[in-house]
Amino acid sequence: MIRLENVTKRYGETLAVDSLTLDIPAGEVCVLIGPSGCGKTTTLRMMNRLIEPTSGHIFVDEADVETLRPEQLRRGLGYAIQSVGLFPHLTVGENIVTVPKLLKWDKERMAARVEELLTLVGLAPSEYEGKYPRQLSGGEAQRVGVARALAADPPVLLMDEPFGAVDPLTRQRLQAEFVRIQRDLRKTVVFVTHDVDEAIRLADRIALMRGGRLQQYATPEEILDHPANKFVHDFMGADRALKRLGRVKVSDVMRTDVPTVDSSTRAADLRSRASCAEERFLYLVDGSGRLAGWFDCADLADGGGPESAMTSVDWRESAVASDASLKEALSRMLEFGFRSIAVVDGEGRLLGDVALPTIEAALGAGDTHVAAADGQGGARP
Amino acid sequence: MGSAQSRRIDRVAAAGALIALAGCVWLPFAVSRANRIVAGVPAGIGSAGAPGYALALLAVLALVAALYPDRGRRPAFALASAAALAAILPWALGRSAVTLLAGAPAFARVSVGGGAWLTAAGAAVVWFAASQAASRRTLGYAAAGLVAASWALAFAFGGLDRLSLVMEYAVQRDLFWSAVGTHLSLVGISLGIALLIGVPLGVAASRVGLVRDVVLGVVGVIQTVPSLALLGLLVVPLSLLGLPGIGPLPGVIALTLYSLLPIVRDTYIGLAGVDPAIVDAGRGMGMSRLQLLLRVEAPLALPLMIEGTRAAAVTIIGIAAVVAFVGVGTLGVLVFLGWGQQADDLILLGALPMVVMAVVADGSLRWLGRAVVSPGLRGDLR
Ligand SMILES: Nc1ncnc2c1ncn2[C@@H]1O[C@H](COP(=O)(O)OP(=O)(O)OP(=O)(O)O)[C@@H](O)[C@H]1O
Ligand SMILES: [Mg+2]
Repeated sequence: MIRLENVTKRYGETLAVDSLTLDIPAGEVCVLIGPSGCGKTTTLRMMNRLIEPTSGHIFVDEADVETLRPEQLRRGLGYAIQSVGLFPHLTVGENIVTVPKLLKWDKERMAARVEELLTLVGLAPSEYEGKYPRQLSGGEAQRVGVARALAADPPVLLMDEPFGAVDPLTRQRLQAEFVRIQRDLRKTVVFVTHDVDEAIRLADRIALMRGGRLQQYATPEEILDHPANKFVHDFMGADRALKRLGRVKVSDVMRTDVPTVDSSTRAADLRSRASCAEERFLYLVDGSGRLAGWFDCADLADGGGPESAMTSVDWRESAVASDASLKEALSRMLEFGFRSIAVVDGEGRLLGDVALPTIEAALGAGDTHVAAADGQGGARP
Repeated sequence: MGSAQSRRIDRVAAAGALIALAGCVWLPFAVSRANRIVAGVPAGIGSAGAPGYALALLAVLALVAALYPDRGRRPAFALASAAALAAILPWALGRSAVTLLAGAPAFARVSVGGGAWLTAAGAAVVWFAASQAASRRTLGYAAAGLVAASWALAFAFGGLDRLSLVMEYAVQRDLFWSAVGTHLSLVGISLGIALLIGVPLGVAASRVGLVRDVVLGVVGVIQTVPSLALLGLLVVPLSLLGLPGIGPLPGVIALTLYSLLPIVRDTYIGLAGVDPAIVDAGRGMGMSRLQLLLRVEAPLALPLMIEGTRAAAVTIIGIAAVVAFVGVGTLGVLVFLGWGQQADDLILLGALPMVVMAVVADGSLRWLGRAVVSPGLRGDLR
């Protein structure tokens, strides 16, 4: 879809990009990563001709971009810039339809598109459409920036640190949304970041650069397992095994047939439940399936009363979302001292759980030994 | 606004009320003369009878409003007393004129005294302070309408027509209106030409560094040349071109040149101040240079461009008076005529309309600035 052939950009003495060759297949997410000043932004901006290369050729859809009118080319490449750059005098809705307006769509189509895109990026259309950029938080503005880049449904998206300006929590939410959106839309995405975890989580392929030169271009697994040189090895970090967990989604490995009990059941009644014989933990769910807590059969066996065996929790705090990565799940488990953790959907409905042995298995050959599990699925200290 | 409300005393309004009160009791309210040239005899507020005492009472009321702890009603109360002051003032002046002229010879005339001017100024200050604190604008508009109606009625029935200022007007009516017309058209044409030249120059200055240095330098130098000197200097190039050095042409050229600086400078600053990230986003989404300018940069620079136009308008309304020197019949003609005849009221007849024009131009362009600028750029958005 996008091909760079020996592309070089020189600023006086500095080689911002040095004979870069890159082939990005359609429908894939290519993450450009590397230390500050390594030429990521320059590379991205040469693709939509905001910067002209000193030498070399860039092809989009087999057409040499030099032969296209820049305006024409850019309208087909959605562009989300690092600093968002929303137009402050236009509403969120008007910002989003910038490109459709240039393409002279009719009013109904644009209105429908605004509603669709705001819903897609998780902002309530009725609430946000009429707001002005200065009324938005940083995270909301970045979502609008992404919606604006998507507006004319371009086959290619160029995103320069689109989640750069938000707190880590919002960042993770936006990443999860990106994964969800990309699963449906299958765009060709060139995504710039300097966050290794973000790259591993989002990329189909990672292009690691240094001083304008490409160091390695491969899938995240490949780059983690077989770094091409010492720089790649060091850049990806020492905890490569742990990072690999960032590639695995909780929903792909979780156990779904977890034992549940209605949370309105009286504690005393649980003692007689047969399920206690097989499982140590019973998840408590409310009428609509939301996680409300759990019941520990072991506590009962130890002679504790039924009340002390029952723990009430808030699903927002003591569970992970199904689109979280195993890395996140592990870090939550270590944080709470759990050996397994419940998995919920966006409304808090219990979907399953993940236990330490599962994570160990996902680590593959197991060059890292996470704290030994006691072997029992669903065990907690 | 919030601070003025939370303060125990509205100091600005209090100062205005004191000024008005001083005007009522301290300075002569009106000045009478046996004829146009001789020295005047001052007369106190007593000459204005009941309306005069009402003025003094209202000034005290305004003072009380400014000093009394605010329970939310203060702005309305202060605005009402300021409006009442402004509405009763013409009736007091009219009554004073009628009283002082009773039994005097036909040449006798009554001028507006320092006290009356001071009262008017004080009322304006209270008005300003109250409208800053007021939450709704409608109250101010209603009060302004009331005052205007009161003045009109005072002309017809209140004896205001006996004031020498009004009598000068009666004599010079034709000259007055032609001067107002000339003044307005000269200012309007010059401002229009300056906008036609200045906005493109400002755009060019924001694009090309060399143009910026040259243009901003040149218009800056022009602004420092005194207006009379500029009119004199214009004679040379105009005569070289075979054009007249006097008349409307040099007038329009001079006023256009003076308007250029604020318009060019503010257009340039407005465009240059647009966040580069915003321009970058627009380019990256496939806007052409022109689309970027018209849809993004110009709307963002608009508040400053209107501000530059406002500054230019207010400046050249004043300078247009000087243009009378090169034989253009602006309001300056009345002022110079008054100087020549030592007739203060004739000077005033020329000066007052210029003040009104400047205030109206200032107010309406400020209003325009608020009306056309996107709510997304305004400070009051929450
Ligand atoms: N307009 C320019 N003139 C001169 N040098 C430039 C210009 N733009 C970029 N450079 C240089 O080119 C190199 C690559 O810049 P680039 O912006 O592509 O880096 P980056 O990888 O995006 O860095 P960051 O992560 O900090 O955004 C840097 O050394 C930079 O100083
Ligand atoms: Mg960059």
